[in-house]
Amino acid sequence: MNTERVKIARKTMVLFFLVDTSGSMSGTKIGSLNDAIRETVPDLKDLSANNPDAAIKIATLQFDTNVHWLYPQPIESEDFVWNDLKVGGLTNLGEALNELNSKLSKEQFLQEAAGSYAPVIILLSDGGPTDNYKDGLENIKKNNWFKYAIKIAIAIGNDADKNVLSEFTGNSEAVIEVHNKSALKAIIKFVSVTSSQVNSKSSGVTDGTKTDTVINGITSYVNTQNMDDVDDDFF
Amino acid sequence: MFKKGDLIKISTGGEAKVLSELGSGGQGTVYKVSYNDKEYALKWYHKPGEEKFYKNLKQNIEKGSPAPFFLWPLFLTEKDSNGCFGYLMELRDSAYKEFSDFLLAKVQFSTVSAMIEAGIKICAGFQKLHGKGYSYQDLNDGNFFINPSTGDILICDNDNVSSADENMGILGKCRYMAPEVVRGETMPNPQSDRFSLAIILFLLFFNNHPLEGELISNCPCMTEKHEKKFYGFSPLFIYDPTDNSNRPVRGIHTNVIHLWPEFPQYVRDIFINQFSQKVLQEPGRRISEKEWIENILLRMRHELVKCPSCGNEIFLDTEKNDFRCSDCSFHVDLRVPIIQAGKYKVAVNRDKKIYQYITDSSKQKLYVCTGEIVESKKAPGLFGLKNLTQNVWMLTTKNKNNRPIAPGEVVPLLIGNEIAFGNGSSAKIV
Repeated sequence: MNTERVKIARKTMVLFFLVDTSGSMSGTKIGSLNDAIRETVPDLKDLSANNPDAAIKIATLQFDTNVHWLYPQPIESEDFVWNDLKVGGLTNLGEALNELNSKLSKEQFLQEAAGSYAPVIILLSDGGPTDNYKDGLENIKKNNWFKYAIKIAIAIGNDADKNVLSEFTGNSEAVIEVHNKSALKAIIKFVSVTSSQVNSKSSGVTDGTKTDTVINGITSYVNTQNMDDVDDDFF
Repeated sequence: MFKKGDLIKISTGGEAKVLSELGSGGQGTVYKVSYNDKEYALKWYHKPGEEKFYKNLKQNIEKGSPAPFFLWPLFLTEKDSNGCFGYLMELRDSAYKEFSDFLLAKVQFSTVSAMIEAGIKICAGFQKLHGKGYSYQDLNDGNFFINPSTGDILICDNDNVSSADENMGILGKCRYMAPEVVRGETMPNPQSDRFSLAIILFLLFFNNHPLEGELISNCPCMTEKHEKKFYGFSPLFIYDPTDNSNRPVRGIHTNVIHLWPEFPQYVRDIFINQFSQKVLQEPGRRISEKEWIENILLRMRHELVKCPSCGNEIFLDTEKNDFRCSDCSFHVDLRVPIIQAGKYKVAVNRDKKIYQYITDSSKQKLYVCTGEIVESKKAPGLFGLKNLTQNVWMLTTKNKNNRPIAPGEVVPLLIGNEIAFGNGSSAKIV
C-alpha cells in the first residue's frame, strides 16, 4: 500500500459572465470592466485550485448587436484568459438570453462527468434592451438550470434598466447598482468570489437558500461600499 | 482591515500589535500579532457577533483547550466601535498542511503509518472535546491541519464549539452534516459530530466521500433539493452491501476503487456498518471516538508492517501463519512474532514504537512511547524491544529462565517469551 492519491472527485460550478458590450459601454465603463474581470480571474483560479468541494469553470457571453462566446466551452479557471472586450452596437439582451438558454443543458455547456452545481450567472449592463427581450426571458425561465442558478445583475450607472435586470434575476435585491469605477471593480470581484464559494460554506441556523446567502453577503458588502463612494464623477 | 503596527485591546489587559496578515476567509481575517512578547494568530471577525457568541468564546477560553491538538482561543479582544472582535490563538507551524491539500492531492503522507497516526489523533481530539461536554458542531474538511511526515494534527475553527446542548447558530457544511441535521430534525450535537468524524476518516483513508458514487455523479445538477435528498433523506454508502446503485465510478472515483480492497476487512466492515441504512437512520448506533481508536485505529497501527522484500507498508493478517505481501506477492511460510498485551496484538517490525497503553494498562497513554522494536545487527530477522521506560522489565524465556531488562536494554522478541513491565502489566510473544 502507498499514500499516493489523485485529486478527489469534484463537481463543477460554471460561472457565467453576460456582458453588455453595446456602444454605450464604451470608454471607461468597458475599460474598468475588463480590468476588473482580469483582476478577478486569479482569485477564481485560487479558489478552484484550493477547493476540494467544487471546480470552477468560467464562460463569458458578450452581447451587443450580435452575441459571442469568448470560448466555445466553459474553461477551467486555471486556463481562462480574459481578452479585452470591444464595444459597439445595440443591446440585444433577448438574443443573449436565447443563446444562453441553448447552452444551459447537459448536452452543451454542463456536460461534466462528475456532475455540476447550479451555475452562477452574472449579468452586467449599463442600459436597457433594444430588442424584444421578453420572449427570450420567458423561454429561459423554463430552463431548470436557469431556474436553479444563482443570478446576480450589476447595473452600471444611472441608465441601466433596473426593472429588466430584476426580471432577469427574479429578485430586485439581486440587482446591484454601481456608480463609479472603484465600486464596479470591487463588486465584480466580490460577487464572483462570493458566489463561487457558496458550495463550500457552512450554513447557519438562520440562513436561507444559497441564493439568499449570496445576496445577503453581497448586499451587506454594497452598503458599506457606498459609504466610501468618492469617485462619483465617473459617469 | 488592520495594518502593520495597529494595536488591538485584549479584554483581559494589554494590547496585541498587528505584524502581518496571514489570510482572509468569508468570516474573518487572520493576522500575525505580538502580545506580551509572544507571537500569536489573531482571528478577527468581519461582522459584529451576537453577545451569545462572544460570551461562549469567553467561556471556552476560561475552560481551556481539551487537548493539545486544538488551536484553541486563548485571549479575547475587546469589541471595537462597530461591535467587531476577535481572539488570539497559537500560530500554526508551517509543517502542518491543510486537509484540503491532501484531498486535492497537493500533499501526501510520507507513510501509511503517518496517515493512521493522523486518524488516531483526530479521534483522540474529539474524544477529549466530547468528554468535556462540548460539541464541535461544524466539523468539516476545513478544520484540520496535518503534518504529512508525522501525522500530527491541529484542529482549528474552534469558535462554534459550545456545550453539547447549546448552539451558536451554526448548522454545518453540506456533505459533512449528519443526515438528521440536514433533515432539520435536530441541531448539531456530539452524535452528529460523530457522523462528520466518520466522513473525515473515510476521506483520510480513501480520498473519496463515502456517499458519493454513481448516484451523485449521475445527478447533473446538485441543487439544494438534491443535496437534501442525497445527504439527508436518502443517503447511500458507496459500498452498501445490499444496494449497489451508488458504487464508485471508474474514471471519477479513482482513489477509492483502488484503495478499498487494500484495507483490512475489519476497516471495511466498520465503514460498511457505520454508513449502513440502519446506522445512518439511528444516530445512537454511531460508535464513539474511543471505539474508533480501540477497535479500529490502534489495530491498524499494530498490524502495519513493512514487507521485507519491497519495503512497502502493508497490513498483516495476524490470524494467518504465513506472510504474503499484498503489493509484491513476496511470500514466506513464517509469521512475524506478535507482542500480545491484554487485548492488543502488535506485529513485530523494525522501528515500530510501543506506547504506554501496552506496557502500562493503568495509564493508557496513546502517544507516550515506552519501547521501540530494533533488529539485531548480528542476526537480521531477530527482533528485540528496547526498554524506553525508567522501570526494570523482567524477561521470562520459554524455558522459564528469568533475567532483568534495565532501561535502555533490549529484550529479545522470541516466540514463547514473556515480559513483565514492572507495573503489573505484561506481554507474551506469540
